[in-house]
Amino acid sequence: MVALFRLTQRYIRRRRMQSLLFVLGVALGVAVGVAIDLANRSASAAFDLSVRSVTGRTTHQIVGASGSIPTSLYTRLRSDWGVRTSAPVIESYIRVEEMGGRSMRLLGIDPLAEAPFRDYLTVAPGADPDATAQALYNFVAQPNTVLLSADLAAQYALAPGDTLTIQARKNPRATLVIAGLLTPQDKASRQALRELLLVDIATAQEVAGQPGEISRIDLILPDSFDVEQLAASLPAGTTIITPSQNADALRQMAAAFKLNLQALSLLALLVGMFLIYNTVSFSVVQRRPVLGILRSLGATRQQLFILVALEAIMLGAIGTGLGLALGTVMGQGAVRLVSQTINDLYFRVTVEQVTINQETLLRGALIGLLTSVFAALLPALEATTTPPVGVIQRSRLEQRTLRRLPVWSAVAAALVASGYVLLRLDSESIMLALAALLTVLLGSALLTPIFLVALARGISPATSCLLGVVGRMAPRSVARSLSRTGIAVAALTLTVSTVVGISAMISSFRTTLTDWLTVTLGADIYISPYSEGGNSVAVDIDPELPATLAKLNGIARVASVRSVNVRAPDYPALPPVNLVAPDVDITDGKRRFAWLTAPGGDFWAALEGGQVIVSEPFAHRRHITPAQNQITLLTEHGPHTFTVAGVFYDYTTDQGTLMMHYSVYKHYFDDPYLSAIALDLQPGTDVERVLEQLRTGILSSTGLQAQSNRQLRANVLTIFDRTFAITVALRLLAIVVAFIGILSALMALQLENTHEYGILRATGMTPRKLSALTFLQTGLMGLTAGLLAVPVGVILAIILIYEINVRSFGWSMSFAPDPAGFIQAIGVALIAALAAGVYPAWRIRTLSAASAIRSE
Amino acid sequence: MPFSLARPPVLHIQSVQKTYASGCAQCAVLRDITLEVAAGEFVVLLGASGSGKSTLLNLISGIDQPDHGRIVIDGTDITRLSETARTIFRRDHIGIVFQFFNLIPTLTVLENITLPLELRGESRRHCEEQARHLLRRVGLEDRAGDFPDKLSGGEQQRVAIARALIQQPELVLADEPTGNLDSENGKRVLALLTELTREAGRTLIMATHDPTIVPLADRVIRIQDGQLQEQAHTTESILPLISTN
Repeated sequence: MVALFRLTQRYIRRRRMQSLLFVLGVALGVAVGVAIDLANRSASAAFDLSVRSVTGRTTHQIVGASGSIPTSLYTRLRSDWGVRTSAPVIESYIRVEEMGGRSMRLLGIDPLAEAPFRDYLTVAPGADPDATAQALYNFVAQPNTVLLSADLAAQYALAPGDTLTIQARKNPRATLVIAGLLTPQDKASRQALRELLLVDIATAQEVAGQPGEISRIDLILPDSFDVEQLAASLPAGTTIITPSQNADALRQMAAAFKLNLQALSLLALLVGMFLIYNTVSFSVVQRRPVLGILRSLGATRQQLFILVALEAIMLGAIGTGLGLALGTVMGQGAVRLVSQTINDLYFRVTVEQVTINQETLLRGALIGLLTSVFAALLPALEATTTPPVGVIQRSRLEQRTLRRLPVWSAVAAALVASGYVLLRLDSESIMLALAALLTVLLGSALLTPIFLVALARGISPATSCLLGVVGRMAPRSVARSLSRTGIAVAALTLTVSTVVGISAMISSFRTTLTDWLTVTLGADIYISPYSEGGNSVAVDIDPELPATLAKLNGIARVASVRSVNVRAPDYPALPPVNLVAPDVDITDGKRRFAWLTAPGGDFWAALEGGQVIVSEPFAHRRHITPAQNQITLLTEHGPHTFTVAGVFYDYTTDQGTLMMHYSVYKHYFDDPYLSAIALDLQPGTDVERVLEQLRTGILSSTGLQAQSNRQLRANVLTIFDRTFAITVALRLLAIVVAFIGILSALMALQLENTHEYGILRATGMTPRKLSALTFLQTGLMGLTAGLLAVPVGVILAIILIYEINVRSFGWSMSFAPDPAGFIQAIGVALIAALAAGVYPAWRIRTLSAASAIRSE
Repeated sequence: MPFSLARPPVLHIQSVQKTYASGCAQCAVLRDITLEVAAGEFVVLLGASGSGKSTLLNLISGIDQPDHGRIVIDGTDITRLSETARTIFRRDHIGIVFQFFNLIPTLTVLENITLPLELRGESRRHCEEQARHLLRRVGLEDRAGDFPDKLSGGEQQRVAIARALIQQPELVLADEPTGNLDSENGKRVLALLTELTREAGRTLIMATHDPTIVPLADRVIRIQDGQLQEQAHTTESILPLISTN
């Protein structure tokens, strides 16, 4: 065993470049997976912390239909029902001027009821108890005071007694005085407080413009408590839920996004696996004489297997270690991209740092090592077939590979077919769709060698005619060294087809989105609160504003919409329903529907009649069909069931949207406010002039922004592009791994062909022509990968668009790939392959013909 | 001691030295070699394995460069040429036959033979005409389309001879051309090589450790420990050399 170890170690040392490429392949594959996992987990950890920080030890919460409940309910709860461990809470997002306009969470609490629930007000060991006591006294005794963490105060150079100017829902400008600074004892509370401002409940009501209302009542109920009975006795429009139920629903929002990201992160590892296979199988071929000698000296097949596997394990271990370190560093960048998307699309989460998770590292290490061993398995088994006497010629090995080509191609076809069958199964599982995708991808990768041989043979007459003997030799040597070139080209095909597939999907999505925006954004100007995404609307719009706006010069029509979250009791595991209530159809009847049961297709009449329409993702998540077209919402008057008149195409949120007429909304919800306003201008009116007039006039101190149709459209597309930014990084990394694969294959080819190159030099081939031969070989490999990647990528895009997207997000989109993307893909494959040829070409130019001839 | 010839030399080697680094020591393979070879002459370089025969052939062909000294072929000092110029000179003026045939596996028999001409940029048609003529001469006209791995060792070496002669080089270098063949095939290949070179008036320098080749040569040069030690101009005078090997 020691001898085997020594042999492996020396071989690795002698083949430094090959070994380095192996290590790099594993390292990058592991690093990408680890980085994404760390980013996902860090975002989840930050979200959990944020949830824990505001729920504390709460076991149940009483919430209202549209986000608020009367304060009187809290009084009744304590006096009539005797629930003493209860605390009123107002939760809202505000913007703080002194913190650079940063959006913060405002938590209104009753300091006297708070102790059992949260630890913010507990004095940390070592903190000055007198200062804390003074801070709490000021907080309770003085109105309009705020408590914030000492860390946060230090960050913005704030001190007790300073004033904060804030912008809140229904209150564009209020001031709060810092009563004191908090230093909570536990790390979680300290971190949570960096995002939080604490005010007493009365101040919160005043700041948030909700006199007599609170957001919820937190409860700590013993197990024996009859929750059902309490729920039954609550007034209409209120319900009791558990905090975990709420958090789970929120968490579930981003689950599909994270899963898809994780699947994509596996791509680099998959490509890396091909690279490992290539390196190990090359090392087996190269060491056949040594393996033969070992066999003749009495080494068993098992020992030869161990010898080869040991190499993979040793290099795999080094690569994995590097990958873990690199992944942790890359995680810092990935977490920013992931949390940005989660903020844009789902919920607010601030990730201050990457949480180094042991499970992630362990999983990364296992995946790296197992992938290395798995990829080395076939070559290691092949090593055991080395005969004790004599050496199998390389040409015979290649002939064997060529003979096996039909078998591999049949396996490839079977894999593609089974992928198709998996997709046709009656299932909505995302995992199953991803498995089908992987099967199709692997099948396509296995088709690469036959395609390579066909292309090499097909192109040979043309290259021969154009480039003479070099043009004849290059395609033949690529086809004859199939065991090397086939795998490298398969890895590159895999990568480039994924690039093509994802690009085509993104392009289709973008086209669909742009079309949708054209239909939906019919107005000239949109007025809405400044938003940082993640459902954090800071300001509600005064219901009188539309009438004021209508009086302005040049305004032809004013449309307003209310957007709130309401509860659907039948779907407790899903997040609250995003209800949108417009008073005017700004699409002027152009809205497109997946299906519509409204008589004469007049959906607006159906809305006016009390029916609702829902978006595609909404229907997908709740299985709403023309036959199952009822949805119950918790209104201010209690649960009410609405009939769904149709399902419309909408790309606002993958959680889905329910639309009802504003007059119907007003009937069921006691909420006078608005969320956005759309303005149609009279023909010939200068949009920019009106915008300027609005920004400097009516809207100047309202916390509202006015955007032109063009600006809003651009903003939507910016968020769209930002969402897919991480996929660009992942695709680039996969290309780097594939590049290493081609480089490794070329180096292998070169090592094997050194003698042949020496003969060519002796026969009169100049160094330049030899370089040209290398570039022609590598170019052909790149071209094969590029050409094959286009159809495979299109199939991938179709699966992504029609299966994975639908299953993950419920969106349907038209297939509209950008043809330039296909040309780019071929270009990427060619450039990657040619770039991989630079070093081998340089080496070949500086090759000593004499020593090359001597090498055999 | 310099060698002198009656006919004008096609090859003139003067004070050539070559050392290789072996570990940390410098190992002199050729020491102060001076030699002249006349046009049309058949010279055998006789020496044991490791004596420096192949190194000398590599230097003559320009595959390798000497540390000191000059090598002039047909008036051109190849030691002063760049790598590329040496390659082109070799392509145009020198034919090489190797011990292990060294055919290019990705080229057919015909294509292997036409390779030097094609590298020179000559028309495919012309190359093929020349190659087919040579294929007939080496008795392999029916194997033109085969790849080298379909040929026996003797057949492969016959193809290699045809490849070495196709560009009508002034100088043909053969490094142990029979070393990898059985005696019957060895004899056939040797006969073919000498016949074709003599017929075309080419100069042939053959490195070998096989003394039975000696009777066919015009001159035999013994190489030992990197030095040319003896030479003979007639088969009679080298008979004593045969007995020493």
